[in-house]
Amino acid sequence: MKTYNDLPNDGGSDIAGQVTRQLSRLEERLKSVRHTVAIMSGKGGVGKSSITANLASTLAMRGNSVGVLDADINGPSIAKMIGVRGAKVDYGANGVKPAVSPLGVRVMSMDLFLKDDETPVLWEAQTQKDAFTWRGTMEISALREFLSDTEWGVLDYLLIDLPPGTDRLPNLVDLLPSLGGTVVITIPSGISQLVVKKSLTMAKKLLNTPVIGLVENMTAYVCADCGRAEDMFPSGNTEEMARQFEVPFLGKIPFDPRLSMAADNGNAFVEEYAGTPASRSITKIAQKTESFFNRKI
Amino acid sequence: MKFLCLECNTAMKFKESKTPEGGSLTAIFECPDCFGEIAMHMNPWETQMLKSLDVQLGGKSETAPPMQMVRSFLSDHKEGTLSSSHTPQPTSSTASESEEGGKCPFTSVVADAFQAQESEPADLVWTEEAKDRLNRIPSFVQSMAKAGIEEFAREKGIAKITGEVMDAARGNFGM
Repeated sequence: MKTYNDLPNDGGSDIAGQVTRQLSRLEERLKSVRHTVAIMSGKGGVGKSSITANLASTLAMRGNSVGVLDADINGPSIAKMIGVRGAKVDYGANGVKPAVSPLGVRVMSMDLFLKDDETPVLWEAQTQKDAFTWRGTMEISALREFLSDTEWGVLDYLLIDLPPGTDRLPNLVDLLPSLGGTVVITIPSGISQLVVKKSLTMAKKLLNTPVIGLVENMTAYVCADCGRAEDMFPSGNTEEMARQFEVPFLGKIPFDPRLSMAADNGNAFVEEYAGTPASRSITKIAQKTESFFNRKI
Repeated sequence: MKFLCLECNTAMKFKESKTPEGGSLTAIFECPDCFGEIAMHMNPWETQMLKSLDVQLGGKSETAPPMQMVRSFLSDHKEGTLSSSHTPQPTSSTASESEEGGKCPFTSVVADAFQAQESEPADLVWTEEAKDRLNRIPSFVQSMAKAGIEEFAREKGIAKITGEVMDAARGNFGM
């Protein structure tokens, strides 16, 4: 009896070929994107999306053409933070046109497709029972379509805001083996750094993905009256972690409640509150991101 | 997945797929030597897994329209976001269509079937009372509930969906 390997194909469906063609389509689309950057952590609630939004705005203010893909399919927030929530999704023959922020940042997010604030992402199925068997695959396919079917145009940077979970980067790298680099976000708490270390191991040692650097968010609270900085999470040591993993330390971003206010209003904090310590820190991180790629050229 | 005709020791070829019934898709394969056929029935989860990969049984010769998977299967979406002139249309697939470069998109077959379930099937009538009750179900589970009630009615040979039928279906779901 012939075995699996003796049979020349799968009977005409060529499922493997179809998947390969999906990825070729993605590769073709991203030919006009110079640098792809994943913003990741592994830990939730450390400010990845807020930093992504402001890093994108800063890079745009510095003269770059920038796109942002919200890879958080189930909890999209980038559209609101960048001020494009409610933008109309427009289809062209060659893809879907991204929403464009006042600073010119092109955005694609599941949020643009959802009916209202209360509507979760739910996929049509005969039954939602045991949906764990297929939901993850559905989300990866949606991410692939967002990458390959958005008319990004010519971009200097495409930032990809990854949801929490140390498995998110390998999923992205499966789709995007030529990922340009990762910016890893943590807060200075021991718990956060416990998880982020796993993400760094995944990025650097297992996937061999270039790590642009490590960012410490919510470093300290700066008193608006006296300017005195107080540590918010004194238990972690991010710079030491960067040394341990031999990755660049990109900087510390102090906690500023106006970051949250600007995000809620869809405004770019770095533009609205330029000159504040947090804004200056984000600008330095953007400069270091540019330098990372300029050094490689 | 590959299929072997044990009689001829020959690889079988995809012949056609059938519209899902109760979420289960059927693919038929044929032996090119003895023309013997087999049917592969996929359960709803296996069917859904194939849908989620956005691949098509029998091959895919056309370039998929933008965001085909998201547009086909996102349940509750903003009006107008999923419609354009590029929405996939095909309803069935055969090997010959595939070989000739015709339309045999698996995803669309399944999508069509599920969309058909969303619209009112000709064999089932919803009373006004039942429609009202359906409309009171939260929007994000409405289509799922409707499909479940209709499936229950068909299984019981019920042609008209009333409040009582909805109650019975609800009891059947264990809710």
